Amino acid sequence: MERPQHRFKKIAIGLAAFGLAAGLTACGDSSAPAGDDTTAGGDATQTLIWWHNMNADPGLAYWKTVVADYEADHPGLKIDMQVYQNEDLRTKIRTALQSDSPPDLFQQWGGGELIDQVQAGYVMDLSDQVADEIAVIGEGNVVGWQVDGQTYGLPFTLGIEGIWYNKDMFEAAGITSVPKTLDDLSAAVEKLRAAGLQPIAVGGQDGWPAAHWYFNFALRECSQATLVADATDKAFTDPCWQKAAQDLADFAATDPFNDGWVTTQAQVGAGSSAGMLANGQAAMELMGIWESGVVGSLTPDQKVPEFLGWFPFPSVPGGGGDQKAAMAGGDGFSCHKDAPASCVEFIKYILSDKVQAGYAATGSVPANPNANSSLTEPILQDVTAQAKDVSYTQLWLDTVYGANVGEAINNNVVALLQGQYQPAEFVQAVQEAAAKS
Amino acid sequence: MSQVTTAARPAAKAKAASKGSQSNQSLSWGSPVVYFVGLLLVALSMGPVLYIVMGGFRTNSQITTDPAGLPDPFVTQSYATVSTSADFWKPALTSVEAAVLTTLGVVLLGVMAAFVLARYQFKGRGFFYSLFAAGLMFPLSVAITPLYTVISKLGLLDKLAGVVLPGIAFALPTTIIILVPFLRAIPKELEEASALDGLTRLGFFWRIVLPLSGPGLITVGVLAFVASWNGYMLPLFVFNTHTPTLPLGVAQFSTQHSTDTAAVLAYTSLSMIPALLFFSIFERRIVGGLTGAVKG
Amino acid sequence: MSTPAPAALSAAAGAGGAGSRPVPARPAKSKRSGRGRTRAEIAILLGPALIVFVGFVMAPMAVAAYSGFYSWNGYGPLTNYVGFDNYKEVLSDPKFFTALKNNLFILVMSLVLQGPLAIVIALLLNRKMRGRSTLRVLLFVPYVISEAIVGVGWRLILGTGKEGGALNALLRAVGLDGLQHYWLNKGTAVWVLLLICTWKYLGYAIILFLAGMQGIPEELSEAAQVDGASFWRVQWHITLPLLGPTLRIWAFLSIIGSLQLFDLVYVVWGKAAPSVDVSTMASYMVLNGRNTLRYGFGNAAAVVMFLVSLVIALAYQRFVLRRDTEGATTDGN
Repeated sequence: MERPQHRFKKIAIGLAAFGLAAGLTACGDSSAPAGDDTTAGGDATQTLIWWHNMNADPGLAYWKTVVADYEADHPGLKIDMQVYQNEDLRTKIRTALQSDSPPDLFQQWGGGELIDQVQAGYVMDLSDQVADEIAVIGEGNVVGWQVDGQTYGLPFTLGIEGIWYNKDMFEAAGITSVPKTLDDLSAAVEKLRAAGLQPIAVGGQDGWPAAHWYFNFALRECSQATLVADATDKAFTDPCWQKAAQDLADFAATDPFNDGWVTTQAQVGAGSSAGMLANGQAAMELMGIWESGVVGSLTPDQKVPEFLGWFPFPSVPGGGGDQKAAMAGGDGFSCHKDAPASCVEFIKYILSDKVQAGYAATGSVPANPNANSSLTEPILQDVTAQAKDVSYTQLWLDTVYGANVGEAINNNVVALLQGQYQPAEFVQAVQEAAAKS
Repeated sequence: MSQVTTAARPAAKAKAASKGSQSNQSLSWGSPVVYFVGLLLVALSMGPVLYIVMGGFRTNSQITTDPAGLPDPFVTQSYATVSTSADFWKPALTSVEAAVLTTLGVVLLGVMAAFVLARYQFKGRGFFYSLFAAGLMFPLSVAITPLYTVISKLGLLDKLAGVVLPGIAFALPTTIIILVPFLRAIPKELEEASALDGLTRLGFFWRIVLPLSGPGLITVGVLAFVASWNGYMLPLFVFNTHTPTLPLGVAQFSTQHSTDTAAVLAYTSLSMIPALLFFSIFERRIVGGLTGAVKG
Repeated sequence: MSTPAPAALSAAAGAGGAGSRPVPARPAKSKRSGRGRTRAEIAILLGPALIVFVGFVMAPMAVAAYSGFYSWNGYGPLTNYVGFDNYKEVLSDPKFFTALKNNLFILVMSLVLQGPLAIVIALLLNRKMRGRSTLRVLLFVPYVISEAIVGVGWRLILGTGKEGGALNALLRAVGLDGLQHYWLNKGTAVWVLLLICTWKYLGYAIILFLAGMQGIPEELSEAAQVDGASFWRVQWHITLPLLGPTLRIWAFLSIIGSLQLFDLVYVVWGKAAPSVDVSTMASYMVLNGRNTLRYGFGNAAAVVMFLVSLVIALAYQRFVLRRDTEGATTDGN
């Protein structure tokens, strides 16, 4: 009984000495050095701490082999890979970046979050070193990882968004061809309803899946110039924003979404919107490129179902935007500003044709298009083939416009879909959120 | 146990002396009405729990298409994978270590502090009591960034102590608030008597108060154990390379875009068991056990 | 709230607590060295808890509270001082008051529902009878499951559509189709939250009450029963008054818990909480603070939440708890 008490006292004294001081200066402590032993060059063993979110096989197993291969080629370098669940990782990175033990290489979702990190001075400018990689991935695809024209991260996976659908259910409802225009889509919804089927699953509870419907209507109504301009001035005064809201409200009025969509979750396994599509409970879902894998994990045999098909978001007649553009998203990596040079080298390695091909073979869409041929899943080959017709890709609007505006869209779009907000009120709510700092 | 009874003896009537010869070993049956009510309550409390447990025997597809159904077919894969995986047992060990150390720390520090707040008169007592109570009113998640800095400056990142010490700190308010009335309830005659017997106040605390506050100590211990067992925030931020705790371990089934619900249900059902064992061992001591001793 | 325990009874019982006060000065040999010695004892006993608590809880909280005066995105130093702007925004936002209203609903209903229910169950479980251990463990199980999983489980039970979820399927199976409902939606959501809270935290109240009952001497009730009083009569007149201190402490913890309620709301409803009118102050804080990366604003909301809790706690202490913590709430002596 004495020992623990004694230990407590020791710790307690230590706490009194450091704890309070540390606590009180926590916020002013912005210039914390990256206190790992990686800055020194030379022959000594260097450790690269890497945080990412691929926490399940086959992705996890693949990154382990990538690390092993790279370490074998680079004696003296040790890559310390630490894996966390996606949301956990986001919170951890935020806290760790401002501590004295940040990771060297970390997951980068890009957009507004990256801007905050860059402004606070945590992220390494890669511009001079990754020109070749940018050329391969495509200038326009890297925008989400750039701030003021400088590149602070690179995506390793990228894909466009579209509508995933159940071919069998379409056939049962008598829909003979995939919807090309908004009117086609509305007609399909009507036929599915008539056949007693739920047309579209949407994870309204999570906000963003419903917001993606708005993003896509905005893409059809707003010019690329407007979309780009509003990323910086955040005015949202162009009438196209309200027109997109009107389109969505009109579409929602046709009752296209699954019963109870307001409290449906998007991707939490059983009972989610993806689960509905996977098990024939809904005919369509608007979702990013990862959807086939998610659906595949929720079917009875845990395989991507034969019935799964994909078509691009329909065109909107009379829309002022590009009718061939597509929303897209991806995940990338950044280096901490004090990370060793090996960090950038490793990112370049990840984006090499060889590593990206291996990544594609695990069923994920690579950022490097040279690796697309290694995609094994037929539906993904289909999507990447159709992607060639896309005029330009637009990164998720909630990522580009920052959490402030993004969350305002995500949270208020549900009210719009329920008819509680008029389109004008919705746009006003977004403008007000944008004005808050 | 025997030590305890000896210590308490001077002031207590021996339990055996109380009339009636029932002891815990030979309990009689209660009235059927009581059991009926009991079973009804158990059905209400255990229904959802069994639903979770059964969910682990189903596939995600089954859960989606027929949420109320029984496993059909019965799929043991989730439980089999989880229970034979090091990703379950290693975190389970960390969880046990963290929970046991946190519980011991909370109970020890808590009862010491509560003793002072309950039985000493001094200036600032009200302030200290309110200070601890205030700890309940501010959400931990808000303070995590500064807390992380404290943990990091003390060199406790990635160490068990980094989870245990803050865990103790966060469990202290509830512990102290529950214990103060328990300690206050010990009759002052007992303290006076022990003083006459030559015991110092600390001696009184150690030899009389601790044994007599058994039910209270075990209650706060159980609560602290459960809190630590299910704690998520602290291990998430503190552990990097350290083996995670069970609540973190379950995150392996949630990737960026999907969740294996059946595996999550199986994993959690299994991770409930140690906490329940802990409770079932100690609940007997909350009720029965040492109590007959206090009869002022 | 509850009737004061008759002084005679509680003095006899000791455990009643109401009558026993802190022991004043030591009777003997404590004249001169006594004061210094007492101080040393206080320091030794209270010190460790205080240091750990201040270092890991109060100091970080103070820092977080301080950032409520800044516009801060969670990164880097606090530079953009905005005074009380964040506070004004919280206090002028009707959504915050909707959340507060939900907190108060849960607060009152939890006291009204859980309190009596837990007392009755604890009284039953306190009787000496076969199987009571098993019953206690089974009733405690919901408390042991983490909020995250409770949320997953109840979501599957309640479903999202009118025909979704295990509960609706069960209603269909027994022919009660008419009772099928969108349980998680507006209208029923806050009742569902209350139900889940009651289900989950009842075990907590029960073990607290059971522990409190151990301080009540059996002789009292046994004697009364011998005199012919019924079991419930005995409980009402003897056990309940003596359980006063425990009851009041439980109510205090329950009140604070209701005001801080977050996990269950966020796991079950997430971002839909405001649109189905089940948000709480804490979920408001997270949705409008951390999620929008307006950390300064979120932390200001946390401070408002703290103040609301403090005011209610002080009122409670002033009017109800005073008896038990006499001297502890105000500087006695």
